Amino acid sequence: MAHISEPPAPIERRRALVLFVNAVVAMIGGGLSAILGALAFGSRTSASQTRWSRAGTTSDLKPDEPVARVLSVSRVDGWYRARARETVFLVWDGDKTIRAMSATCTHLGCQVRWEAKDKKFRCPCHGGVYAADGTVLAGPPPRPLQTVEARIESDSSVLVRL
Amino acid sequence: MKRLFEWLHARTGYRGAIRVMLDEPLPPGTGWFFTLGSVVLALLSIQLLTGAFLTLYYAATPDHAYDSVRFITGLGAGRIVRGLHHYGASFVIIALVAHLLRVIAFGSYKPPREVTWLTGLALLALVLGFSLTGYLLPWDQRAYWATVVTINISKLTPVAGDIVAGILRGGSTIGALTLTRWYGAHVIFLPAALVLLIVLHLFLMRRHGISGPVRPREGRSSAFFPSQAARDVTMVLIVTIVLVAYAWHGAPPLEGPADPTDASYIPRPEWYFLGLFQLLKYFPGKWEVVGAMVVPGIAAGFLALLPWIDRGPDRDPLKRRAIVSAVAIGFASVAALTTLGWRDTPSSAASRDSWTLREIGGRVYAQKLNCTRCHAETGLADPLDGGPSTRGPEWIAGHIVDPEMIAAGMREAPTTIHEREAAAVAAYARRAARDPYPGYPPNIELIAPVWARYCVGCHKIEGDGGTDGPDLTHEGTKHDAATLRRWIEDPEQVDPDADMPAFGDRLSAAQLDAIAQYLASRK
Repeated sequence: MAHISEPPAPIERRRALVLFVNAVVAMIGGGLSAILGALAFGSRTSASQTRWSRAGTTSDLKPDEPVARVLSVSRVDGWYRARARETVFLVWDGDKTIRAMSATCTHLGCQVRWEAKDKKFRCPCHGGVYAADGTVLAGPPPRPLQTVEARIESDSSVLVRL
Repeated sequence: MKRLFEWLHARTGYRGAIRVMLDEPLPPGTGWFFTLGSVVLALLSIQLLTGAFLTLYYAATPDHAYDSVRFITGLGAGRIVRGLHHYGASFVIIALVAHLLRVIAFGSYKPPREVTWLTGLALLALVLGFSLTGYLLPWDQRAYWATVVTINISKLTPVAGDIVAGILRGGSTIGALTLTRWYGAHVIFLPAALVLLIVLHLFLMRRHGISGPVRPREGRSSAFFPSQAARDVTMVLIVTIVLVAYAWHGAPPLEGPADPTDASYIPRPEWYFLGLFQLLKYFPGKWEVVGAMVVPGIAAGFLALLPWIDRGPDRDPLKRRAIVSAVAIGFASVAALTTLGWRDTPSSAASRDSWTLREIGGRVYAQKLNCTRCHAETGLADPLDGGPSTRGPEWIAGHIVDPEMIAAGMREAPTTIHEREAAAVAAYARRAARDPYPGYPPNIELIAPVWARYCVGCHKIEGDGGTDGPDLTHEGTKHDAATLRRWIEDPEQVDPDADMPAFGDRLSAAQLDAIAQYLASRK
């Protein structure tokens, strides 16, 4: 394996060796950077699991009047599972249909309130105003209130998908 | 671009530094045997890099360590990076030992390189420290139980055993404080020491030059770059390809979450500690300290003193037969012990195929206690048999007894649960996380809750249960069903001196019949 004392490498051989060394270093370094970069910056959007949660029964609701419900939902944050409390407004038409809206203002994320007097949602932070169906009436909110899937079961209990 | 480098060189003189690094003069005849140090250096660099990136996701708490490691393994890139780090640890050990054997064979530790040798040995010790501390971090069964063994071995340290064990443990038991302590050692203290020692080792290597072939050759010395560098990177490339193949081929092992209550788990160390593990088996009782401390201590002492034991001027292994033979015998012994330890692998999985009565009983209680109202496919919580549960046993026990503690307002106030019922549900939850329920006949499902509630406190079947009463695993060979039924109903009616309480008023006739028949059928 070991050579007898090497003569100074001819210039072509030397050039080939330099190329080889650099290529291998670049390959290993590049490969490692790619996989480590993928780990550090890769997308980790695990399918956000939504579940149907119980939100009381229609007997707790008034027709066409938004009612706030605080629901506890399980949220997956990477390896961490936490229970978050989320407020939704339920709007029941008095019969078979129910709509649910998130109470989170689409402007900067404050929680909006239902003002029964003038039948509007008001955001306490920057004066955003929404109509009973969630559309923006005034103020800075860029979008209507987020709607949430909801349904009424045969036993008149209300399910919300969060 | 060129001008930028010119400017940088004018301000820093970096080209000189690169020249000094690359133009290291090598004695004539330096060849492939002298690439091993570079392989170790490359592997350690990979360990440092992959380890650093793993910290982006790892959480060093008993509640989350296992989850976070499982999460990492679930990420595509995470699986590879964790694989590189896990298998890389073994590669480092192999490369280090190969480097060590080369240095011994070539007598490279002889003057003036004694201190280089000592720093190399210290590096080996550090790497073993990395292995030990890193092994705990996934917080799975392997990790937990191997650490239990490690800490118990450390108690054998003469004089200061309990102090050493206490320092390693951090707290009074192996738990959160152990984990953070070993994590800190693994990612801060040991790496800092490692980098310092590597710098020192390389500095000394450059100061004395490398030792070169055992019989000095005539000729001019040549520069490291590019000829020897090409050999080095060739070796590094080969080793890296094999390592990547390992990392690609399979995710590194991750067993169930650490469970301090699982007495049936048989701990196994990582393969490079198997020799030591096997050695302990030959030194039972009070002689254990010989296997745990004295023999390894003598080996370490011999290696450390090697430059002063082997004092002759000759480096040729053929002229140092005594030393080379001694090391060869030592190495062969370690290899033999490792092989023996490997072959001694107990079949722990086989005995755990069937569910214990307690686990089956726990399933019955879980249904009775309405656990499945929330723990269902469409429910608020994960189904109980929906993949590994990552919660520790204490968390599960706490959740069963007091749901308010974990999920406030989620469940109506619980009916009081007896502690043994809670323990059974916890056992079921742990088991269901690993294996789907295989289904058992109705009579077993009838007696399992009775067993889990009443009998298990004092009696054992197949290793699970208390020890106050007799083991009932083979009760059918001793008594028939009728006798057993009368005994369980009221022991004093059979034997006036019986210690066992009567269960006639606590169990229904059907339950009494079923459990008597079940026990009688256990031959």
